[in-house]
Amino acid sequence: MSIDWWALGLQAINALVLVWILARYLFRPVSAIIAERKDAAQAELRRAAQAMEKAEAAKSAADAERAAFARELSDLQDKAQYEAEEIKRQMRLSAEQEAAQIRQDAAKAVDQMQKDARHQMGEEAATLAVQIARKLLTRLPQEAQVSEFSTGLAEALAALPDATRSRIGAKGPVAVRAPRALTPEETAKLRGDISGALERDVQVAITVDPSLIAGFELDAQTAKVRNHLAADLMQIKEELVRHA
Amino acid sequence: MTNDLVQAVSILAAALSVGFGALGPALAEGRAVAAAMEAIARQPEAAGTLSRTLFVGLAMIETTAIYALVVALLVLFANPFV
Amino acid sequence: MENPLITQPLFYVGPVPITSAVLVTWGIMACLTGFSVWMSGRLRTTPDGLQSAVELLVDTIDGQIRDTMNRDPEPYRALIGTIFVFVLISNWSSLIPGIEPPTAHLETDAALALIVFVATVIYGVQAQGVKDYLAGFADPSWVMIPLNIVEQITRTFSLIVRLFGNVMSGVFVIGIVLSLAGLFLPIPLMALDLLTGAVQAYIFAVLATVFIGSAVEGGHATAKPATKEPTQ
Repeated sequence: MSIDWWALGLQAINALVLVWILARYLFRPVSAIIAERKDAAQAELRRAAQAMEKAEAAKSAADAERAAFARELSDLQDKAQYEAEEIKRQMRLSAEQEAAQIRQDAAKAVDQMQKDARHQMGEEAATLAVQIARKLLTRLPQEAQVSEFSTGLAEALAALPDATRSRIGAKGPVAVRAPRALTPEETAKLRGDISGALERDVQVAITVDPSLIAGFELDAQTAKVRNHLAADLMQIKEELVRHA
Repeated sequence: MTNDLVQAVSILAAALSVGFGALGPALAEGRAVAAAMEAIARQPEAAGTLSRTLFVGLAMIETTAIYALVVALLVLFANPFV
Repeated sequence: MENPLITQPLFYVGPVPITSAVLVTWGIMACLTGFSVWMSGRLRTTPDGLQSAVELLVDTIDGQIRDTMNRDPEPYRALIGTIFVFVLISNWSSLIPGIEPPTAHLETDAALALIVFVATVIYGVQAQGVKDYLAGFADPSWVMIPLNIVEQITRTFSLIVRLFGNVMSGVFVIGIVLSLAGLFLPIPLMALDLLTGAVQAYIFAVLATVFIGSAVEGGHATAKPATKEPTQ
């Protein structure tokens, strides 16, 4: 057993030289290029990440925009719906009001018509009653048509104010209408009654008017004094119609 | 005469050295392989790592036998007493 | 039979005897240098197949160093990688007829192991300083100083003998089988030799990494679960 020291030394030197050569030409460049590629890949990854980030940002912006659009749209829809409902409501309201108005008007018209009908009926009835009464009254006795009415006329004249009374008969005879031609006694009594009521002597001009039925009607320029059944009937009829 | 005896004893010693030196590593390698097999059967997905470790371990164990071989060769070819 | 422990010098350069191991080593160096220079000239950021293979090799070496030492592999890559590549190619050079691998000779293995030993010391001193590195021998107590020193020597020695024994025995066994039956029979043994050669190269490199790593880490190396230091 012997060791070749020359060979040992040579191999040691060889190995060291090989270490240097491989470090210089193999390991350093290769690991450098690996690192370089890793850096490049990292840069690429970073760029890709940035691009993705940008894309994400753009996407989120687009999303936001879309959401804004959607919100606007729904706002518009809400508004339109609200307005439509408002219009509908108003229309319904006005229609209801109109309908109520129409109904009311109709009710009023019906009322009016009923009232008119009733009124007319009452009027007709009153007219009928007055006609009946007139027919009946025309059968009164001749005296009764005149006799007591002069007193009533005088009372009515007496109830007039003094100024009016003084003017009656001041200019010529007092015009009196009677239902028939008066007898002289009746005329005298009428004259006497009127003069008594007026507290002075007046002339009386008689005109015949059968429509009075019974009683007198004094016709001065300023006043008419009625005391006859036709006036009474008219009054009664008016009363009836008013209360119908 | 003495030289012949030394040579005969050297050859015997070399044979014994290799024989007994191979015994222990053989048993050890058998156990290592058995354990590795069991491990691979239990975890087939780790077969790659296990077999790599097994080869390295076998080489390590084998080194003992190699030592014995080196001693035998020394005795045979570089015997200082011959 | 030829004595595997002794090599005859082929020729002399001056007083220096040149053995076949040195000659083959020079050849391997020439090949590796040529390949490296050619390779470094055609490195691109977009690698082709060959460059990918080379990068994979470098990356794997980096990964092993990082796993074992938990450190940046940059300062150790060249040494560990060169040891691995050189031992691997030396072991496999036995495939070429007529060439005996340099690692089948004790001198080459001894030279490599010595380089590893010296590198261990240098890296340890560089990382911890002289005082701390020497203090590391007295860990855990001064009683351990002789044992630690012996361990340094024996593990270097075992590194030598492991590689030498494996490769040399492979060559030796193939030689014996060749003398018995020349055809076909050595092929399985050659295949085994290839496997052994690759595994031994890997082991040599890993052990060198572990030694350097423990020297760099100092007393903390034992706390590392990834570092396993074989007893042999």
